Amino acid sequence: MNYHWNWGVYLEQVSSGDERYLDWIVSALGWTVAVSMTAWVIALLLGGVVGTLRTAPNRWLVIAGNAWVEFFRNVPLLVQLFIWFFVVPEFLPAELSRWVKQDMPAKEFFTATICLGLFTSARVAEQVRSGIQSLPRGQKMAGLAMGFTLAQTYRYVILPMAFRIVIPPLTSEFMNIIKNSAVAFAIGLMELTFISRQMIEESGQVFESLLAATILYTVCAFAANRVMAFIEARARVPGYIAGAK
Amino acid sequence: MSMIEIRNVSKWYGQFQVLADCSTQVSKGEVVVVCGPSGSGKSTLIKCVNGLEPFQKGDVVVDEISVGAAKTDLPKLRARVGMVFQHFELFPHMSVIENLTIAQTKVLGRARDEARERGIKLLDRVGLKAHAAKFPGELSGGQQQRVAIARALAMDPICMLFDEPTSALDPEMVNEVLDVMVELAREGMTMMVVTHEMGFARKVAHRVIFMDTGRVVEEAGADTFFGAPTSRRAQQFLASLKH
Ligand SMILES: Nc1ncnc2c1ncn2[C@@H]1O[C@H](COP(=O)(O)OP(=O)(O)OP(=O)(O)O)[C@@H](O)[C@H]1O
Ligand SMILES: [Mg+2]
Repeated sequence: MNYHWNWGVYLEQVSSGDERYLDWIVSALGWTVAVSMTAWVIALLLGGVVGTLRTAPNRWLVIAGNAWVEFFRNVPLLVQLFIWFFVVPEFLPAELSRWVKQDMPAKEFFTATICLGLFTSARVAEQVRSGIQSLPRGQKMAGLAMGFTLAQTYRYVILPMAFRIVIPPLTSEFMNIIKNSAVAFAIGLMELTFISRQMIEESGQVFESLLAATILYTVCAFAANRVMAFIEARARVPGYIAGAK
Repeated sequence: MSMIEIRNVSKWYGQFQVLADCSTQVSKGEVVVVCGPSGSGKSTLIKCVNGLEPFQKGDVVVDEISVGAAKTDLPKLRARVGMVFQHFELFPHMSVIENLTIAQTKVLGRARDEARERGIKLLDRVGLKAHAAKFPGELSGGQQQRVAIARALAMDPICMLFDEPTSALDPEMVNEVLDVMVELAREGMTMMVVTHEMGFARKVAHRVIFMDTGRVVEEAGADTFFGAPTSRRAQQFLASLKH
């Protein structure tokens, strides 16, 4: 192999300006983290609500929830991103449409965040629904029998347990959202993937550029994993064995 | 005065009729045992009493309130009717004492201290005061069921429903639960109990109802029923219990 390693490349100036490649990478990491975290909050809130509604004793709510999940789950993420970026602005009211297309600050960031948040919300909703449905039927009966309304039964009995049950699958969704944020490069958000390609083009150091991105994605995903493991440990119920009565 | 009146209740799951024209009543202070073969509709009937199962025909009246009427505030009615399940159904993420206080505070609006005091008193009564801070998963089945009874009593119910409270327990734990129920019956609690525990029935039941294929087939005093049941189905059923 005839590759010229250059570990000093990170501290070299970029050819197109007076920053160093390291500055690019740090700022790119910032965008990756910002998109992932904001989208994760959206996904948890929306996914929690939609997943819960899918277990409601109302046919229309269930149908609406199912439609939500099927749409966001079945269309490829990249296609969804292009729809949000290129198509949706065309259908907004004239004033708003013009503003989105011309003046909206951080347009790529908001588009990528909404897209990724909604995409992941469908996956979270699916986990939440199956978590709720995996609880013994008698739990809901017991809540209602105590005099709780259906809403109170969800609030005090069903959701606290369902939440604990879905932590492990949500951990992988949290890690996925970080990795999936890489699609944002396609609309020009200067996150890790975008910058590592840019660095390859300008410095010619393919391996160093990709290595930086690889390591930083790994560190982020691992951090997400640890955060969820911490929450899981904190929420653990003494004496409760998942799946057992 | 009748506390629970079941009037010609029928219920279907699609084409399948689970309850067929069931009628009976439980007077204030009375203990009624419901028995019958598996699938005969005992659980379904007892869940109709507090409206956990809807029914299509007839009505159930609890303390002069119609369970079937659309305008009835079911949560309010259920808060006054205690229920104990076969699989305990304690809330696993709450400590024992929280299991006893949550509905007192959230449904009845009692102050936390008052609810706690009431809870501890009831735990003491079922012999589990020392376990107040534990979680349900840390207790034996018999202990969990006693907590479940205490949880229902904490709401000061006007009557208690039991759906096979001892059938999920290991044999050596059955009596600790039955003892609590016997004591409750002797204190004059109105009780409707689905159970096959003949000893319990003989000790405290004023009446036994025998169900088969969704119907109330026989209704008699405990001694009469267990000694000389009139219907053939009841005779067969009792014979099968003895094995
Ligand atoms: N959700 C349901 N859908 C359809 N059929 C049901 C449903 N729930 C119960 N059944 C049927 O209704 C009948 C009565 O059930 P139920 O649970 O009341 O019987 P049970 O007398 O309590 O029996 P067991 O002694 O086994 O507890 C059974 O044949 C059962 O299969
Ligand atoms: Mg049953």
